[in-house]
Amino acid sequence: MASVSEMYDVTWEEMRDKLRKWREDNHRNSEQIVDVGEELINEHASKLGDDIWIIYEQVMIAALDCSRDDLAWTCLQELKRQFPGSQRVKRLAGMRLEALEKYEDASKQYDSILQDDPTNTAARKRKISILKAQGKSAEAIRELNEYLEQFVGDQEAWHELSELYINEHDYGKAAFCLEELMMTNPHNHLYCEQYAEVKYTQGGLENLELSRKYFAQALKLNNRNMRALFGLYMSASHIAASPKVNATVKKSNVKYAAWATNQINRAYQLAGRGTKENKCSVKAVEEMLESMQITMS
Amino acid sequence: MDEPELLLDSNIRLWVVLPIVFITFLVGVIRHYVSILLQSDKKLTLEQVSDSQVLIRSRILRENGKYIPKQSFLMRKFYFNNQEDGFFKKTKRKVVPPSPMTDPSMLTDMMKGNVTNVLPMILIGGWINWTFSGFVTTKVPFPLTLRFKPMLQQGIELLSLDASWVSSASWYFLNVFGLRSMYSLILGQDNGADQSRIMQEQMSGAAMAMPADTNKAFKAEWEALELTDHQWALEGVEEELMSRELDLDGMFSKELPTGIF
Repeated sequence: MASVSEMYDVTWEEMRDKLRKWREDNHRNSEQIVDVGEELINEHASKLGDDIWIIYEQVMIAALDCSRDDLAWTCLQELKRQFPGSQRVKRLAGMRLEALEKYEDASKQYDSILQDDPTNTAARKRKISILKAQGKSAEAIRELNEYLEQFVGDQEAWHELSELYINEHDYGKAAFCLEELMMTNPHNHLYCEQYAEVKYTQGGLENLELSRKYFAQALKLNNRNMRALFGLYMSASHIAASPKVNATVKKSNVKYAAWATNQINRAYQLAGRGTKENKCSVKAVEEMLESMQITMS
Repeated sequence: MDEPELLLDSNIRLWVVLPIVFITFLVGVIRHYVSILLQSDKKLTLEQVSDSQVLIRSRILRENGKYIPKQSFLMRKFYFNNQEDGFFKKTKRKVVPPSPMTDPSMLTDMMKGNVTNVLPMILIGGWINWTFSGFVTTKVPFPLTLRFKPMLQQGIELLSLDASWVSSASWYFLNVFGLRSMYSLILGQDNGADQSRIMQEQMSGAAMAMPADTNKAFKAEWEALELTDHQWALEGVEEELMSRELDLDGMFSKELPTGIF
């Protein structure tokens, strides 16, 4: 089997830099990390110097994702040898137990970390993920709420909580979590769009208006967010089709929907540029939009 | 009257100026490593972490509250500032002012700070003064008044000597401050040999964060939040958006990234 460096013709420095980039961007491309990282560890361990420890950690987590227990075990052993008694390494040991589905042992491991250091957020979050893995979503939600009462600033946790609430169809609370995220990251168009989708799902005239506004905001932040564009179209047309609105509101919403339609058409034209498959998609989109118009007016 | 230039023995340059530079530098490096060894772990309590995050959240609410709907903003403001059971009204933290006498960890920290920084400086300054005394070491490039003479010309008993000519002790002190930038180059930022930074910290630390602050910080946040109004940033967002066509340039590029590199 060809090694990564042979296949792509890269040096070990480039591989190391790629791993660092993935680490900083928090990518979860575990298979690639395992491929690149394993080769780095096996062939070039001496050249890496002190970088090797963080690469061990990165590769270990990726190996757990890919069910490569052997690789995970080696990485863990090396880390245990170098950093005995470290809480970060204990957490990794707990994660390995989780991967082997030994949830009781993993839970005990995290409890011992928390005894030493009650402010350790990583251990708490792992305990919550154990609950999630076991399918106990109600308990997971409760624990996560308690966690967030202590650590209000943890954005990862807010996002996780919003996802759990969406799974439970509790859209009001999910919207609350997403509001927290929108406040702390006002320029992130994805949070705006997700919030708008939750509001749209909740339904009701007020929520539809809010969702239309937030779809527009997401588009303003990122002109290329197609999902927000479609969302804008759908929320505007829904409001216009609703019997409870007065004439001016209906007119402005029809205007919004028409604008959105134009933009969608433009996008599909740009994507198409004459290739055969895209001609069919362009036609399909046009038909879809026309049918929506008909049901509306 | 033109001052006659003094010609110094070149031995002075070789055996005094350079050794003092080396000594200062090495002592600084040793100080840095000693301070790392003696550093005590600062453990934060759960409550402190939690409080600092709550304060951050409240500040974010004030600054970015305009991005969430009015109802949500009011809900959060009510949670924080409500008269009876708003968070800032209700929560009182136990306040233990950490005076150096009562708080043992503060005492040891102060002692360590003194030992690693002030003591070596005094000792080595004195030793250099005793060893390299009785002669002029160097000349500062700018003219000084006579007032500086007793300070800078420690071992030299010449009344007529220009105050710009200084002794080795003053060269030593010059080095201590001058080598600061060298330390940041070699030891990285935040190094323990950085004398003036530590002195700055000592001065500002006395004026700043002590736990009594938590209650005061809460009160300040409460006031600030009371004053904040909700100006919804999304009032005219559709009009702004639709005033021009969407910028879809480069959205569909022909090349897709394949593989890892």
